[in-house]
Amino acid sequence: MNHRTHPVKRAFVKVLGGRRTQSVAIPIFCIVLSLLAAAIVLLCLGKNPLQAYAGLLQGSGLFPKDSYAAHRSILTDFISMVDNWTPMLFAALAVAIANKGGLFNIGVSGQMLAAGFTATVLIGYSDLPAVVAKPLVFVIGIVAGALVGALIGFLKQRFNINEVVSSIMINYIIQYIVSFFIYTYYVDPISRQSRAVGANARLTLQQVSIGDLNTVLPIGFVLAVVCVFVLRFLMNRTKFGFELKAVGANKRAARYAGIPVGSRIVLSMTISGALGGLAGVTYYLGYYASIQPRTLADMGFDSIAVALLGNSNPVGIFFSSFLITAISKGSTYMSSTVGVQQEIASLITGIILLFSACSAFIRYLVEKYRVQLEEADKAMAEGGKA
Amino acid sequence: MEQEDYIIEMRHITKRFGAVVANDDVSISVRKGEIYALLGENGAGKSTLMSMLFGMYEPDEGEIYIRGQKVRIHSPNQATKLNIGMVHQHFKLVQNYTITENIVLGIEPIRRKFGLFPCVDLKGANEKIRALSKAYGLEVEPTEKIEDVSVSIQQRVEILKMLYRNAEILIFDEPTAVLTPQEIEFLLEILRSLRDGGKTIILITHKLEEIKKVADRCAILCRGKLVDVLDVATTSTKKMANLMVGRDVSFVVDKKPPKFGDVVLDVKDLCVENRDHFDVVKHVSFQVHAGEIFAVAGVAGNGQGELADAIAGLTPQKAGKITVNGTDLTNLGVRARTKAGVSYIPEDRQAVGLILDFSLGENLALKSYGDPPFCEHGVLKPDAFVEHAKGLISDYDIRGQKPEGPVRPMSGGNQQKIIVAREIDLESPLMIFVQPTRGLDIGAIENIHKRMIAERDKGKAVLLISLELDEIMNCADTIGVMYNGEMTKIAAADTLTANEVGEFMMGVKAQ
Repeated sequence: MNHRTHPVKRAFVKVLGGRRTQSVAIPIFCIVLSLLAAAIVLLCLGKNPLQAYAGLLQGSGLFPKDSYAAHRSILTDFISMVDNWTPMLFAALAVAIANKGGLFNIGVSGQMLAAGFTATVLIGYSDLPAVVAKPLVFVIGIVAGALVGALIGFLKQRFNINEVVSSIMINYIIQYIVSFFIYTYYVDPISRQSRAVGANARLTLQQVSIGDLNTVLPIGFVLAVVCVFVLRFLMNRTKFGFELKAVGANKRAARYAGIPVGSRIVLSMTISGALGGLAGVTYYLGYYASIQPRTLADMGFDSIAVALLGNSNPVGIFFSSFLITAISKGSTYMSSTVGVQQEIASLITGIILLFSACSAFIRYLVEKYRVQLEEADKAMAEGGKA
Repeated sequence: MEQEDYIIEMRHITKRFGAVVANDDVSISVRKGEIYALLGENGAGKSTLMSMLFGMYEPDEGEIYIRGQKVRIHSPNQATKLNIGMVHQHFKLVQNYTITENIVLGIEPIRRKFGLFPCVDLKGANEKIRALSKAYGLEVEPTEKIEDVSVSIQQRVEILKMLYRNAEILIFDEPTAVLTPQEIEFLLEILRSLRDGGKTIILITHKLEEIKKVADRCAILCRGKLVDVLDVATTSTKKMANLMVGRDVSFVVDKKPPKFGDVVLDVKDLCVENRDHFDVVKHVSFQVHAGEIFAVAGVAGNGQGELADAIAGLTPQKAGKITVNGTDLTNLGVRARTKAGVSYIPEDRQAVGLILDFSLGENLALKSYGDPPFCEHGVLKPDAFVEHAKGLISDYDIRGQKPEGPVRPMSGGNQQKIIVAREIDLESPLMIFVQPTRGLDIGAIENIHKRMIAERDKGKAVLLISLELDEIMNCADTIGVMYNGEMTKIAAADTLTANEVGEFMMGVKAQ
């Protein structure tokens, strides 16, 4: 009798309610839901969703295409996706560590641009040998991003300026200062972007031959994966991570426990900024080789959704950033094979990001249903006794 | 005489919340045009009784008559229709609206522009409110925003809100709690003029002098029961205080005579300001010895909370000196004070004492996570957290969660046990307990009291800050009474009766 009441709610709670499995089950549920929603859009356009999704996978090197050009294969497609994945992974980690400290870093784009521009100007146009230039690019990226992050944290700690407001304003400031310098000193007259950086400074190696294949090689990816594990350790196993999470979870209690709340806020924004800086250099001196003036990278904003989809957990973010990059990277190929406009492909990426942001709501819904069902069962049990 | 013109009659009102009886067969009758005071301690049932008159709760038993008519007041809107208004302790105003907008909110006067488009007639309302405020001496500027005006002006706005709705019966819940002495004088003046204007006023308070100054009659509630109704003019404040606190002690805590040791906590001439730079602790000096429970009594908001926060380092001190075992705490941060020997059980266990989303094990180590065995070279040892938690869970009988689980779903009593266990485990020479038993059931209260007394017997200095007179009388070796930010009396517990302490708490007596 009991099990027949509210079958939908019961199934919902059963699938998504497990305390241990929840952190994986809910994002997967969100993704499935978004793929279904996107499938409806594609059906309305008269396209075959399965074919479209196959196109996505093919475009990002996860599923073999029917034919490849010379020196290309599924592997080169995959590596080229990884090239795009690297800055996204850094950017999402940047958002996540700020989240853990109770801060919302909406300024990742600005930190990326500051780091990318500084490294481009200082190293990108130099004649330094590659073994010196490439590490320097990483270091400059970290320092420039960290300085911007630290400034935001300092404004919050010292003057209680909301980090969202200051980040958005600083985004503008960086964007226009960088544009000014690019147009004045570094512009390429044909592309109207900054002049391309030299191969010595670029973090993605070009035209690398592996056997018969001719591929790119993003060296920043190794560092990104290392960062995943370093951050995981930092958050879960260190004194600093404990304090950071305490400040994020309850500032008053953190203060009561003797944690220096202000310095933890500044530090978490600094680390976040440093990761944003790494995203910047792997984006502007890796995936691309130049900076387009007067725009901010969308990636900096998409990374917020990616971090939420990954539950602000470094390992979760590893997977969520992979998923989102694969979709956005594959969408170009999908639009050509299925014959939908590029805009539709972006629409589908957008739907997935939108649904992924709903994970908190779904978690709330599961808890609500769980309580409802428990009460219903209790009432039943008492009714049975009487 | 009995058939007199009573505007309000509440007959045999009983209200229960679960097992707690908030009002037990209370009957009051209020005459038209008088100031009727309701006096009682925290939790005596004053606010509950008035909440029923204002329609926020309905009584379980009993009847309410307004102007001789039997009524059922099921909502505040219904109460407004009966011309009843209430000023709550916490104002219910929209911060970024103007005074007029707040007053007309919900009953906005509508004017049709060009005879067509309805819009709110704020200009007309401004004029009406100006006239109203003049008539009752409640000067306000109707176009100012709430966030820009002081607390006492906000209170006037609340009063105007009632008058604008044609309230005849005005209920004030602790109206002076948020005001300065000058503002209180002014408010009392307003109350008198409202009464002279024919309004009936019910004043909920525990401040005797105010009652003495303005009230005509006074009903005294104690533990949900009506004790007496007195004519204020012919009754001394002392008698009122006695009636208010006079009671049987509910249960006595088993306690050996104290053995005082050396001075542990020495507070000299301490001054603390609140955020608005208003002095809340004024030149307080006292000492607590090893093996002594020093209890600070006082009505809520007389500076006790700030005193504890200042000793723990959560609030900066403006002047004075605090030493613990000879260490000057003045320039030390919270962590350094903990290391110097201060344990602190804060008043708000959920917002301050615990991180609800952290695990039980982490909360039990919230002040020592950075030291061995929990942490070596900046790296945490999760096993140490669990082991430590297991020990405290069995020692302190903490129930309802595993060491790895979050503390959010645990009961209040168990949450408090976590804090008590953690703070006692620090083995500090000074233990500060603020409202340690608030909201707990009898069993949990007894447990906490036993722990506290055991700590005293181990030679710790205990500073207990409580609003419960019972708790103070039962546990204290020395009692200090705070009134209006000052320590007005310090004496050995056995030289004071509960009634005397009550008189100091009310500011009736001063040293």
